[in-house]
Amino acid sequence: MRGRRRRLRKKSNPRNLENVVSLTCLCDGEMAVIAYTVGGFGLVRRLAEMGLTPGVKVKVIRKGLLHGPFEIEVRGVALALGYGVASRVFVRPLRADSDG
Amino acid sequence: MVKGQLRIALAGNANVGKSVIFNQLTGLNQIVGNWPGKTVERAEGTLFFEDHKIRIIDLPGIYSLSTFSMEEIVSRDYVAVEKPDVIINVVDASALERNLYFTLQLLELEAPIIVDLNQVDFAAKKGLRIDVEKLSEALGVPVVPTVAISGSGINEMLSTVIAVTSGEKKLEPLKVRYGKETEERVEALEKLVYEKLPQICSVYNARWIAVKLLERDLDVSGKLKNFENGKDVLGYAEKLAAELEKIHGEPSPVVMASERYGLANRIAMEVTIVEAPPRISLEQKLDAVTTHKILGYPILVAIVASMFALIFVGGNFLSAGLEFVFEKLIFYVEGVLSSFLPDIATELVSKGVLDGVVAGITIALPYIVPFYIILALLEDSGYLPRAAFLMDNLMHKIGLHGKAFIPLMLGYGCSVPACIGCRIMETERERFLAGFVVILIPCAARTVIILGLVGRFVGLPAALALYAFDLVLVFVLGRIAFKALPGEPVGLIMEMPAYKKPSIRNIMMKTWSRTKDFIYIALPIIVAGSVTIEALSLSGFINYVVEAATPLISGWLGLPAATSIPLIFGILRKELALILLQNALGQQGMVIQDLTSIQMIVFSLVTMIYIPCIATIATCVREFGWRKALATTIVDIALAFILGGLAYRLLSLVMIT
Ligand SMILES: Nc1nc2c(ncn2[C@@H]2O[C@H](COP(=O)(O)OP(=O)(O)OP(=O)(O)O)[C@@H](O)[C@H]2O)c(=O)[nH]1
Ligand SMILES: [Mg+2]
Repeated sequence: MRGRRRRLRKKSNPRNLENVVSLTCLCDGEMAVIAYTVGGFGLVRRLAEMGLTPGVKVKVIRKGLLHGPFEIEVRGVALALGYGVASRVFVRPLRADSDG
Repeated sequence: MVKGQLRIALAGNANVGKSVIFNQLTGLNQIVGNWPGKTVERAEGTLFFEDHKIRIIDLPGIYSLSTFSMEEIVSRDYVAVEKPDVIINVVDASALERNLYFTLQLLELEAPIIVDLNQVDFAAKKGLRIDVEKLSEALGVPVVPTVAISGSGINEMLSTVIAVTSGEKKLEPLKVRYGKETEERVEALEKLVYEKLPQICSVYNARWIAVKLLERDLDVSGKLKNFENGKDVLGYAEKLAAELEKIHGEPSPVVMASERYGLANRIAMEVTIVEAPPRISLEQKLDAVTTHKILGYPILVAIVASMFALIFVGGNFLSAGLEFVFEKLIFYVEGVLSSFLPDIATELVSKGVLDGVVAGITIALPYIVPFYIILALLEDSGYLPRAAFLMDNLMHKIGLHGKAFIPLMLGYGCSVPACIGCRIMETERERFLAGFVVILIPCAARTVIILGLVGRFVGLPAALALYAFDLVLVFVLGRIAFKALPGEPVGLIMEMPAYKKPSIRNIMMKTWSRTKDFIYIALPIIVAGSVTIEALSLSGFINYVVEAATPLISGWLGLPAATSIPLIFGILRKELALILLQNALGQQGMVIQDLTSIQMIVFSLVTMIYIPCIATIATCVREFGWRKALATTIVDIALAFILGGLAYRLLSLVMIT
């Protein structure tokens, strides 16, 4: 599982990886900008169509218990993402004072 | 005079209000509620407006014209292939940007659309106002604001539809254009499609095909493969898509989605006026508590437990009252009947027909109606997606994700729609896994037995324990089924709608339509079953059946042999098992109270699990094929009898020592 994820990340190497973390690293209430998503073709496309495209701002509304799902706000809509899905979304966190 | 018939489809994102509008227009009763993915099959109705006959088609909600789950394919095929005269694109005013993403795709398809800007009341509550004129200008199609739940704006929308179809109002739809790199490639590919595939261009517009090919849409590329020149076009598309990916460093569908969203965002920003800053409302506080990572769980348990407790109290009260009334009535009717009918006929009518009707009304209905009301409340409030969120982790343990918890909860109402509702799951495998566990959830009919027998005569805690045991069983079996049907589970991606105050009208309509189904469909079956059994027992035939079943029923389950009859007839409708239990025991000179607590529990346990009723089996065959339906049925029967026998022995041990 872990090996596979690393491989997928490597494939998307041309991207600028500075400051990029997985969405699962964020805490409740934190904001971030989407960098990219990884995973199967279907998942990546689905996420893009639900509005998770590079550059868009997201906010973590809440995290579930243990490795529970994430509820995020994106483009004015609340979206629930399972932990596995959230771990495939990579973001650049926004510092609390600079989010506007 | 009726002019030609028009075909109009309602299309848009999930949970925007399409079915409410459909119900308003047609007077039908499509399922409405506050979670995404209720409508899973297309529904049709007819409406007469002015002098037009209009066929209205309600479609499942979709987010894009690339498709994922089964219900979304229904919508895409209808919109893209069957081409209705007008598509009413229902749009949620409170989430304009995401909704416009789909609108833009409809415009790309060059479908004739008008935009129904729905839920403007809810947007206003969020402090948002939409400039309708400006939106209409930006999209080049009419935009009609509506509040579907109160019906306001619906007539204006219909007039607009007529104005468009009659040509009185011209559409000048916005031409969706991409950024330079993408646009060049779309145009180049469009030209090639136009030249090489004239057959396809007579059905779809070439530009749409080009866009879909650049997005690597498997369905569209699959269609092209069959054509002579298809390979060339596909090869070229592949080259262009690869170039795009090189430039942007993203998969081409992400590139295209980004650009479309960019446009949707610009339009939404332009036409949205923020009138009031968002403030913390009661609904948001409720959301925070009920979805809380720890508090959420005891609340979920409390909601479900109090639901049954409430049904139990309400049901007992109603049942006792109705019984009192009907006892008098029956006595009177029997007297009248016997004055002119021969004895045997009186027996058949009074024991068969009358008892059947009365039992249906006094035993089943009192539990079922409160149940439907509470279920409708849960559905309308928006609690179900929250429960799905909380249960996501646990559902992963049985190879599903949180969304499957929604049909599971609906299964407490009736297994049939719950089984069909499993179509919201993304893959075939998950659909079946979900269906398999949904059937094991005790539906309202089984609740009648659990509460009416165990709850009433053994006690509410014993009944609740049965429900709890059932849930454990669901997870154990789900886990086994998951292991038997391996595959990578798909992750949860689900919109979380805001809490809404349930509309009284919706609740009443839904409760009534479900109760009506009970009266029209279940009651006749109950009566027929009760007449059959009466005829069988009058002819003495029943003794053979009872004798044959004795080893299993008495020997293994420890129940009186007569209970084999209700168990067999329970296949028709599960309520019948309880209703006939009274009859069957009566013929042996016993009453229900003569059963021991253990016998009641074992009887309820077996009816809870042993076999889905015929309606459910038929649904399973339709949804999953007869092989899987048969396998499920056999597994459930075997399981019920194994567990029933074990429970009898275990409980006997516990209760003696
Ligand atoms: N406040 C408000 N609520 C609305 C309005 N229209 C619909 N709703 C509510 O929105 C929810 C969804 O409505 P549906 O008609 O079931 O939505 P749908 O688009 O058919 O959804 P799917 O079948 O799941 O795709 C229900 O709870 C409705 O009561 C409206 O104009 N205002
Ligand atoms: Mg619907």
